[in-house]
Amino acid sequence: MTAPAYTDIRDALFEELFELAIKDRSIMLLSGDQGAFSIKKFQDSIPDQYINVGVAEQNMISVAAGLAMSNHKVIVYGIIPFATIRCLEQIKVDLCAHNLPVTIAGVGAGYAYATDGPTHHAVHDMALMRVMPGMQVWNPSDHTMIASIVPRLVNNPGPKYIRLDKGAFPDLYADSGDDFLNGLTVLREGKDIMIVATGIMVHRALEVAETLSRTGIETGVTDLYRIKPFDEGVLLRAMGNSRHVATLEENSVVGGIGTVVSEVMAEAGAGIPVRRFGVADAFRWDLGGRDPLQERDGLDTVSLIKNLTSWNNRRTSDGAKDGALSK
Amino acid sequence: MVSTTKLEYKAAWVRRRTFEMVISAGSGHLGGTFSSTDILVALYYGGVLAHDPSNPNWDGRDRLIASKGHSSLALYPILADRGYFQLADLETFNDAGSTLGGHPDTRTPGIETVTGSLGHGLGIGAGLALGAKRNGESSRTYVLIGDGESQEGAIWESAMFAAQHKLSSLTVIVDNNGVGATDHTANSINVEPIIDKWTAAGWDTRPVDGHSFDELLKAFDGDGTGDRPKAVIANTIKGKGVSFMEDTAAFHHGLPSGDQIELARAELS
Repeated sequence: MTAPAYTDIRDALFEELFELAIKDRSIMLLSGDQGAFSIKKFQDSIPDQYINVGVAEQNMISVAAGLAMSNHKVIVYGIIPFATIRCLEQIKVDLCAHNLPVTIAGVGAGYAYATDGPTHHAVHDMALMRVMPGMQVWNPSDHTMIASIVPRLVNNPGPKYIRLDKGAFPDLYADSGDDFLNGLTVLREGKDIMIVATGIMVHRALEVAETLSRTGIETGVTDLYRIKPFDEGVLLRAMGNSRHVATLEENSVVGGIGTVVSEVMAEAGAGIPVRRFGVADAFRWDLGGRDPLQERDGLDTVSLIKNLTSWNNRRTSDGAKDGALSK
Repeated sequence: MVSTTKLEYKAAWVRRRTFEMVISAGSGHLGGTFSSTDILVALYYGGVLAHDPSNPNWDGRDRLIASKGHSSLALYPILADRGYFQLADLETFNDAGSTLGGHPDTRTPGIETVTGSLGHGLGIGAGLALGAKRNGESSRTYVLIGDGESQEGAIWESAMFAAQHKLSSLTVIVDNNGVGATDHTANSINVEPIIDKWTAAGWDTRPVDGHSFDELLKAFDGDGTGDRPKAVIANTIKGKGVSFMEDTAAFHHGLPSGDQIELARAELS
């Protein structure tokens, strides 16, 4: 599938959803008073399949559960902290304990709502959604991927969470033919460092990898777009040929993909050093936009290049390729 | 219509059976179970609920969500008696391998939702009622909540949603026994004036004596008027049926012990 050039990454989801919904009346879209350009199509063409439930996220999840129990396929939509943390127990009990086909589409990944402050920063959702039994967790990196997985989100059983950014991003997978069944895609190999990234940070990882490789540090990039479930063997194979593994996410270092990768590597006894790059375990009050926030947590290109270079060089000079700790 | 004498006889049996089940297991919420017993008996034996024990997942069934799951243990004897499972299964309450736990869940035939966390059932019920309406089904949805549970904010999110969407096939039954887990609800967060609250939220509100089958059955009859969902405010007594257990938080989760057990048995017989 070649996705149209969307002006906002959210439209990849809602446009594809609309195409399914006009042919399937059992599909319902619930919004917690949150807009997106293409939601207007639902309001105009199939108003019977769209409900603005108001600023009431707990009820939104419970109503979604009741609709799913009466043979509906439901997508709920809201700003990430409110569509996940605010109603966490409804997600756990109403959706997960009943294993219902409801998809939570959260908007505003990471620092997307930068200047709106820590209430709107979505940096805990991946950890919290990941611990919900039976929950699928998707953090897509481009429009093509989102458009491709929408039918699976809607039609497959069980609860799912998809973490959406805001705005337009370059398409990584246009014409790639990737079916996104693996849960991750190795975008480039690198024997010195493999950066396992997720969401829009995959774009940052590719930029960093390109620069590092030009300086002689061969750096690969793996796009871990489905955080749960994933195949540990596939993940280990993706990382196994590199001497270092770095994880990169605009999400708390507590419980995100850094944790996922560390768990897998530790249990497998892989012996490859892992370093997590993500949002610190802290509230960030800095203003000025998304860039300063990313810089504060060392997620900007310059900081990543500097830190990965010194890590690689120090470990290499220490003879640390076998995973021995450097002093 | 079923005679109220028969319903009273059945309610007495349900209380005795539930009491023995809980005493035998050594745990269970008897206070709220006894306040809501007559409500559940009216629903299951008074010709209110359309259901088919031989086909628990029948699409056309009415749904009962016992949202105050901890105090809905009377459902077990009722569902067994109605044929959803064997009466002998009641002996397994809380045992390893049984599905009959302290909070009913969907592993047990006839139970619609996983319960145990308060404030969830009304939103699910609203979704079910909306789903049935969209599916063109005539089934009704009943949600049993408590006055303590009404302290949960999510209840009022769902109350406003149901009125907004004119879910007249949805009935909430408030087991208004006035007592929470440790105290009278008036001393923690007073939910009164509860009739005014549901009416203001847009519901067809019917206050009844929650231990009067005549009043309960009359209130349950039909959809809410004026396209409104219906709120049956059932004024009840926590621990109803055993004098020393009535209107106290002591038997919310606490159990009679020693001589109290025989005293309770005598009053329930």
